[in-house]
Amino acid sequence: MADALRSQAVGVRLAGGVVGTGIVRYGGLERAMGAQKYVADLDFPGALQVAVVTIPVGCADILAVDTTAAKAMPGVVMVMTAADLPSPMPRYGVSHIDRQVMADRRVNYYTEPVAVVAAETQEQADAAARAVKVDYRELPGVYTLEDAVAPGAHLVQDATDPTVRAKDPLRESNVLEEQTVAWGDIAEQEARAALIVEDTYTYPMMTQFPIEPLGVVAEPDEVGGLTIYSPVQHPFLVQRIVAKLVGLPLTRVRVVAPDPGGGFGGKQIPKLEPILAFLALKTGRTCRLMLNLAETTLAIRRAGARVHARTGFSAEGDILFQNAQIDYQLGAYADVAPRVMTKGSYIGGGPYRIPACLIEARAVLTNTTVSTAMRGYGAPQITWSTESQITEGALKLGLDPARVRLRNLVENGEEFVKGDYPARADGEWRQVVEKAMSLAHWDEPLPENRGRGIAVAIKSSATSGLSQSLVRLLFDGSALVYAGTSDIGQGARTIWAQTVADELGVPEADVTVISGDTDLVPFDLQTSASRSTVFMGTAVVRACRDVRRQVREMYAERVGADPADLGDEPGVVVTADGPLPLAEAARIALGSLRGEFLGQGTCRLEGRKGHPLGGDASFYEFNCSISEVEVDLGTGQFVITRHVTVCDVGTELNPIQVTAQDEGGSIMGLGQANMEQLIFDGHGKLLNPGAIDYRVPTSKDVPLELLTGSVQNHDGPGPYGSKGMSEGPILCTGAALGAAVRTATGVKITDLPLTPERIWRALRDAATDTV
Amino acid sequence: MDPRFATESQVTVTATINGTPSTFTVPAHRTLLDALRTDLGLTGTKSSCTEGECGACTVMLDGKAVNSCLVLAAEVDGHEVTTIEALSPDGGSDLQRAFLEQGAVQCGFCIPGQVMSAEYLLSHNPDPTVEEIRSAMSGNLCRCASYNRIVEAVRTTAQERVNSRG
Amino acid sequence: MLTYYRARTLAEALEVLGQKDVEGRVLLGGTDLLVGLRHQQGDPPRVLVDLKGVTDLGDPITVTDDGLRVGPTMTMAELASHQVVRSWYPALVEAAVEVGSVAIRNRATMVGNICNASPASDTAPPLLVHEASVRIASVAGERTVPISSFFVSPRVSACGRGEVVVALELPRPVPGTGSAYLRLTRRWGVDLITVSVAAAVHGDGRVLLGLGAVGPTPLLVELPSGLDLQDRSAIDGALEEALVVATPISDIRAGADYRAAMLKELARRAVQAALESTRRAGDGSPVRN
Repeated sequence: MADALRSQAVGVRLAGGVVGTGIVRYGGLERAMGAQKYVADLDFPGALQVAVVTIPVGCADILAVDTTAAKAMPGVVMVMTAADLPSPMPRYGVSHIDRQVMADRRVNYYTEPVAVVAAETQEQADAAARAVKVDYRELPGVYTLEDAVAPGAHLVQDATDPTVRAKDPLRESNVLEEQTVAWGDIAEQEARAALIVEDTYTYPMMTQFPIEPLGVVAEPDEVGGLTIYSPVQHPFLVQRIVAKLVGLPLTRVRVVAPDPGGGFGGKQIPKLEPILAFLALKTGRTCRLMLNLAETTLAIRRAGARVHARTGFSAEGDILFQNAQIDYQLGAYADVAPRVMTKGSYIGGGPYRIPACLIEARAVLTNTTVSTAMRGYGAPQITWSTESQITEGALKLGLDPARVRLRNLVENGEEFVKGDYPARADGEWRQVVEKAMSLAHWDEPLPENRGRGIAVAIKSSATSGLSQSLVRLLFDGSALVYAGTSDIGQGARTIWAQTVADELGVPEADVTVISGDTDLVPFDLQTSASRSTVFMGTAVVRACRDVRRQVREMYAERVGADPADLGDEPGVVVTADGPLPLAEAARIALGSLRGEFLGQGTCRLEGRKGHPLGGDASFYEFNCSISEVEVDLGTGQFVITRHVTVCDVGTELNPIQVTAQDEGGSIMGLGQANMEQLIFDGHGKLLNPGAIDYRVPTSKDVPLELLTGSVQNHDGPGPYGSKGMSEGPILCTGAALGAAVRTATGVKITDLPLTPERIWRALRDAATDTV
Repeated sequence: MDPRFATESQVTVTATINGTPSTFTVPAHRTLLDALRTDLGLTGTKSSCTEGECGACTVMLDGKAVNSCLVLAAEVDGHEVTTIEALSPDGGSDLQRAFLEQGAVQCGFCIPGQVMSAEYLLSHNPDPTVEEIRSAMSGNLCRCASYNRIVEAVRTTAQERVNSRG
Repeated sequence: MLTYYRARTLAEALEVLGQKDVEGRVLLGGTDLLVGLRHQQGDPPRVLVDLKGVTDLGDPITVTDDGLRVGPTMTMAELASHQVVRSWYPALVEAAVEVGSVAIRNRATMVGNICNASPASDTAPPLLVHEASVRIASVAGERTVPISSFFVSPRVSACGRGEVVVALELPRPVPGTGSAYLRLTRRWGVDLITVSVAAAVHGDGRVLLGLGAVGPTPLLVELPSGLDLQDRSAIDGALEEALVVATPISDIRAGADYRAAMLKELARRAVQAALESTRRAGDGSPVRN
């Protein structure tokens, strides 16, 4: 864990308050009643409705866009194309400022916007969009990793955009970024190895599939400013990017972010906000664009990957070396996907004690939808390979795969990434594995046709960050907390309410949580990387402590005491006569003028220059998953009879929310392992958008038995010894399930998803091999 | 062309919406989902896949759970529609409270549809098995994957209701 | 450009559907139609004729000594819970409960499903093995088409423009008849079929199979008479020959070779399940209330 963060840790312990209990979700009742307003539920009378014009291929030169007919159609107020935007086309991004606001002379991925129509009704906008004629010439786009890295491949970002990669030494290729993680002497370890396992693994592109689709409303005001309504996980990032694009100061761009109906990473980085911002400013009218689920699956993506791995073992099961080359498939623009590559590859060796490691990773551009953050952020892709390799090694050596994990797992504080920027374990990870083994009855023999597999995974959390919070203690003893975290379903609001309740001694029903509005709420960097409990939680606790300090000082003055004689504890002022409830002390302090106390808290972690991740991880999420399957050998179908997931969370601040996230993450992870995949035609067009043919788990697809558990050693840098959580359970489901199928059937599969067809095919190929 | 079909028809619909007779006029292509949300301001029912696959738009039509995205507003003329708003008394129903207590509500977007499907199940199968609950609700997708929590909420509510009937 | 027309009589419906310059479509459950309309680009003049209010279509379901008559408004849910259907045509119930979700089944109709004529229709294989027939009405009168001729090509049925299917008729099964329906999908929850097989072991010894998603239409095959259904290799041999009519393709749901192999596997299992079902069979006697 980052020393800088550790030294700031608020270090409070659970004291029998609300934190640590499973209080019902803040805002949950409104959600259950259909009363919470998601972005599509907000009413904008008189708003223009928007439709997007696209072409049916993934890579093409735009020769002409004829909007004449569309502009003349009833109700149409504007048809905007690249010609209406500044020249050169404005671009935005995070680490690379490469993404066009809309397609200018070149479409680089299927559904990149070529034109947008604003009309009085949705039907009018849709009809006009159909009337826009786009004359294009398809180019030989690259849609797969193989195509993208082949010699002479079409360059996704090429000479037509000289500013974008001008200074990039890799600009003559589709490799956008590279990273090497290395220590030790591979050759030396190869010579020692009793067994070397070598294979190639593929992980398909997937989509976040939040049930609430994407949607944006841009509302101009009378004085040239703008309000953007979008259920984004990073409202301040959207604010910054939109303000820059349209040339407004931050104070003139307000982002209102209603709680997302699911994000999973797909609602972090701006996608439609820039184009709607321009449209609203140009038309002078509120513009509203709501996608449906199929359109959303076309707009957001998880990076696919291909790993070639070579792993060496001693006869006793020590992992001697891990040598892997991994390509991540980005999409047409960088977004945050290069960091997905660096974060994933950094931990590519796994949480183990390995004498030598060489991970060579590349982030590769393709003419596909921009891949962005998704729960797990690069770790699931490489863990599929790393853990499958270890399972294979164990089985071939005749060793128990769980004990091979235990044998090689690092101890608390031990390095698992070596070199100039090492990473050290920050928890008792052995306990996680042992707990999982116990819940799974690992050593009990299984009936025939059943198999059991284990995997572990590690993910680095935020390596730098900033969260700021305000807390107001009102005269009647109720409180408000302003915390910019996006409650995407993980229950952030609940945690702040619980924290303020305990820290200020306020009944939790009297705590109001305000978030999702850049005009009202102080800065929060983002909601991602399972960071919020640690970063925003720390800021909230500090803000509460600030309130307590002010109450003590003013109370002391009011009653003529020396503030040094007053003690500070959560919820009270400790006086000579005993503890006085903070709210009471506050009322006495405020006196007849009444008023309130306003506290401010900040949690800031600076990065470290030169570090491959930009800084040390503030904490790690460590998970152990065990899957058990029963396979129908005739069809390849299987039932997951049991799945166990255990994470090291430091401290469960709300046990019910932790369980719900662990179950949810497991089911999502299992779905990603056995049914999710995006399927394309040869022109980069997605063939299975939406719910009809993109398979995600239903209530009938959950394991027969799903057990979750936490290891709580209160050793995290967050409040009350917490770490973050929510990504752990999704990190290694592929490898756990693959290992289970392997032991049930004898066949090893290296490509996800583990569909019945794939299993059947592997069984058939294995049978013919032995003939 | 027969003048009946020369222009898009506007349909005047009179239906009982949440117990109240309601008359509204919409174009023929308007789905019940869009009419509820846009024309009647009842935004509790959610729009997601718009093709009958996710269940977020579930409402009751004459007491039966249906995907409102696959029903034309015109079709409900003379019929009864019940949306989540009618099943949500102050403080929530016993089922909604069970959803909360079991931790089934995460991002919440699918929950109105889940509640509708659950109420429909319990209306004709008051004591369902876990398997029956899973099957009955498999048309309601939850990406947060609160499925086990949802099943438990439905099961415990069913039990409570059966017990309280004596 | 869409018009909605609520017909009150069959004659009225037929008249509107017969309009020459407007595309008339029957609206029953709407669960296929509305999805199709949404995906269609462009805006040709179209009238949806809602039959749910038609008063002279007869009862949604009629049971006689000769069999069953299902009207166009009968939903999957209603059919699946009907006692006689469950007793006489188990494969049909097993299929009906798999069509979509509860919410879909509360609207989707049997007749609408067969008129949609998808090669992957769940109800088609059971209707084939139970030898249903389809009554079609037009302004010229009524005609009957056996279900085996009803599916013409993908999404094209024998019910043409201006026509309405007014009934699906199923003959009462001979005593000792049993049937079963098996389907292969990509996930356990709601899903379209990769492959499916209905099998009926009729009391007169005939064994019929209905095959789904392995051809441009659902297919009907008959196994040779006198087959010993306890003899696994005899069944395998018979299936090998009978299933040559299947032409499975590769698409986004599955590869052709997987479909072909699963067809055999499911067919084998379906025959056994149908045999099992004969031991529990409704004996075809009329339902006594």
